[in-house]
Amino acid sequence: MARRRKRGRRKSRRKVVSHRSLWSRLLLLLCLLLAGYVGYLDLQVRQQFDGKRWSLPARVYARPLELYVGRELTADQFQTELRALYYLPVDAATQPGRFSKNRNVFHVITRPFTFWDGQQNSANLRVGFSGDKVSALTDARTGRPASLARLDPVLVGSFYPAHNEDRVLLKLDDVPVSLTDALIAIEDRGFYKHHGVAPLAILRALWANVRARGVVQGGSTLTQQLVKNFFLSSERSLTRKLNEAIMALLLEMHYEKDEILEAYLNEVYLGQDGNRAVHGFGLASHFYFEKPLAELNVEQYALLVGLVKGPSYYNPRRHPERARARRNLVLDVMAELGLVDTAEAERASNRPLEVTKQGRKAINTFPAFLDLVRRQLQRDYRDEDITSEGLTIFTTLDPQLQWQLERTLASGLQGLEKGRRIEGGKLEGAAVVTSVQGGEVLALAGGRDPKFAGFNRALDAHRQVGSLLKPAVYLTALEKPERYTLATLLDDSPLTYTARNGTVWKPGNYDKMSHGEVPLYQALAHSYNISTARLGLDLGIDSIVATLRRLGVEQRLNPYPSLVLGAVEMSPLQVTGLYQTFASGGFLTPLRAINAVLAADKTPLQRYSLSVRAVVDPAPVYLVNTALRYVVREGTGRALYQVLPEGRDIAGKTGTTDDLRDSWFAGFSGDRLSVVWIGRDDNASTGLTGSSGALLIWRDLFRHFGNPGTSRTVAENIEYQDIDPATGLLADAGCKDAVQLPFIAGSGPHENAPCARGDQVLPNPVDWFKELFQ
Amino acid sequence: MISYRLTGIPVVLLLLFMQGCSTSPPVPYPPPVVEQGGTLPGEPARPVTPGGIQAQPARPTVTTSSPAVVALLGQAENQANTGNLEAAAASLERAIRIEPRNPLLWYHLATVKLAQQEAAQAEQLAVKSNSLAAGNRMQQSRNWRLIGRARQALGDGTGARAAERRARELENH
Repeated sequence: MARRRKRGRRKSRRKVVSHRSLWSRLLLLLCLLLAGYVGYLDLQVRQQFDGKRWSLPARVYARPLELYVGRELTADQFQTELRALYYLPVDAATQPGRFSKNRNVFHVITRPFTFWDGQQNSANLRVGFSGDKVSALTDARTGRPASLARLDPVLVGSFYPAHNEDRVLLKLDDVPVSLTDALIAIEDRGFYKHHGVAPLAILRALWANVRARGVVQGGSTLTQQLVKNFFLSSERSLTRKLNEAIMALLLEMHYEKDEILEAYLNEVYLGQDGNRAVHGFGLASHFYFEKPLAELNVEQYALLVGLVKGPSYYNPRRHPERARARRNLVLDVMAELGLVDTAEAERASNRPLEVTKQGRKAINTFPAFLDLVRRQLQRDYRDEDITSEGLTIFTTLDPQLQWQLERTLASGLQGLEKGRRIEGGKLEGAAVVTSVQGGEVLALAGGRDPKFAGFNRALDAHRQVGSLLKPAVYLTALEKPERYTLATLLDDSPLTYTARNGTVWKPGNYDKMSHGEVPLYQALAHSYNISTARLGLDLGIDSIVATLRRLGVEQRLNPYPSLVLGAVEMSPLQVTGLYQTFASGGFLTPLRAINAVLAADKTPLQRYSLSVRAVVDPAPVYLVNTALRYVVREGTGRALYQVLPEGRDIAGKTGTTDDLRDSWFAGFSGDRLSVVWIGRDDNASTGLTGSSGALLIWRDLFRHFGNPGTSRTVAENIEYQDIDPATGLLADAGCKDAVQLPFIAGSGPHENAPCARGDQVLPNPVDWFKELFQ
Repeated sequence: MISYRLTGIPVVLLLLFMQGCSTSPPVPYPPPVVEQGGTLPGEPARPVTPGGIQAQPARPTVTTSSPAVVALLGQAENQANTGNLEAAAASLERAIRIEPRNPLLWYHLATVKLAQQEAAQAEQLAVKSNSLAAGNRMQQSRNWRLIGRARQALGDGTGARAAERRARELENH
């Protein structure tokens, strides 16, 4: 026992010693753990802070305006461009970014700019205008003529490609002092004194909460709130609070107060826009007032500052009374601290909230076009490429054209509604404008409200295309010159087609008549359904599907006879792609919205180069395009020339779907192609055909383009012959209604029409042509 | 980077400024006219169909390049000479934006693509140039030569020889 006890005592003494060392070891371990933990938090919070701070949005630019003598551009358009570039009008321009104007002569000093092909220095230019053109371009210093000059491009928007999230990044210098003062006054008066946490404020808040038996005061510093926003979560636990406090202290150790304040202004959560969180005062200003922050007045600042406490509880759209009370409280505090004088605060308190109606209003100038840019970026960039920050994106957008398109579409739809007694705002529309040869998307409208950043009809409204598909049917036919020419008579008599599965198809013409035998070019010009259906059945639906594939149509096509009459759903952009191939003479030209991308350090990252692929022989395309010229001369599109000059070369096609749900027009002239769609979002009838709807908007749009010359592509093996349309046979001076039609060499008729008297046939232009060159 | 020269450009300038002083076999080459202009000298007035569509087919598409385009061609040449082919392509695309139907520009773009080892696209661009050069045999012939080289690069010997043949035919016409 004694031995045991002894041993026991010894043991216990040893135990005391080991307890002591254990405690100290434990303490050491704890310290190490804590240090490790703090280090971990430090790393996390710094990563967040630096990440957010350097997360610069991609900047998206329009095409730069090229200046050269002879360019179509009015003095007004030029001035509009300068205004969009924020060039300052002055009496005498002496530094970059300024211009002076004397009648039709501008003196402009351009800003230096880094383009894809390198740095471009500032240029000192004199630009003269006469009529609709640039008539003079000289170097203002030397007085010597300049062949070409390029302005810096208009900034049309910004986005973070990675987060798919718009943001208006603010520099502290850009933020009005009265806003930051008010913010500090309301949220954290000790901001410039504390080290990240304010224990007194916490105690005060605790006391207030205990007295009120609930949470009435926060007591978090701005720094703590910033940390909280970095790791946004609704959890309210003590550990979380502790973590936040530690991280706030760490932040204050690493960064200046102003850096923290700037990050806070850009990061704080201020509302919810659908599934998109609204972060930062810059975006919030657009979200609530549709204005940049700099243009707000004092009560609007007060409202935004008031929102910090609870963007949902004080949501000015949903709870205007609470929001107003909160705003006025902020105003009172501001007056109390002398940030605003009492009378002004009083006045401001009586003003209404003036928040705009809820809507996904875009901060970008051209949201629909930017949507396309974003999609093309996402298509071509891997995620890690997209996340490379601060990209500069050069797009193909022509802002002059875009503004024109927006105005034309909005006023055109309004006019149609008025003229046809359609309830205002019911009609929607979309349109795309491209360059014919280059396939560049120059302008794009996703709806009648150009600032609406929601449903983009130009890209996402997949609607029946109706007769717009017919040119593909006629192309399939004209690619077989031994069987079909423009003069071939087609049968337009009533048709009842019974498919193998027993379904019966009875296509009818829009005018409810059948037209007997009609020459092929007229069947397309007048958009006859029956003769087209017969033609399509004769050619075989599969061959038409094959043609559409060659023309670049990618979506699912049901190989049913109704396909021939346009039973396929396409977006306006897809239709544009289809017509692009016709317009460019048989070359598939991928539609591009982006020209080039620069990395943050301005080094070239990627260029989207022009590419073409010959998919159809030019000769049959030439024939189809000739028929498309008849569409607008004497067919369904003839209303065009009521307004546009006779001499203008236009080819196009109308499209109308069942019950007048969709009204389409696709057409090209010169180097411009445009597709216009009108319909309703609820897919109800518009009461409009392609001719009475979309065509009028297309016409209005092209009225504003100068005369762009011919859009005709040429084919070598084409010859013209005089044809009597009634019989499709050779005509001469004896035939009253003779037309000259092009034929693929050797495919034209050999027989004379009954009206022909055997007089001398008009000289064949191709013979003349050959003589000249052989 | 490969040093590379746009072989066509001196010829272009020659054509632009010294009409008819070509050393190659006499190619009937009409004086260039601006595309939008009316009829060629000596051209018979073409009848207009009742619909008003001028039945006027392939007219030689010879365009005078504007000073802006000539400047860009020169710039493209410099860029190509200093090995910056991508920049040369960008300059030519800029020129195409100004004169989209000028076959010469498409031809030069094709030449640059060939030098960039993009033979398939080079061939397509030369075909495009051809489609805009109806009646301009000299340009067509050069396009076919380029198509021949592109096909050679793609390993299509038969196609290359056929293209060469076309080029010679056009020259000797």
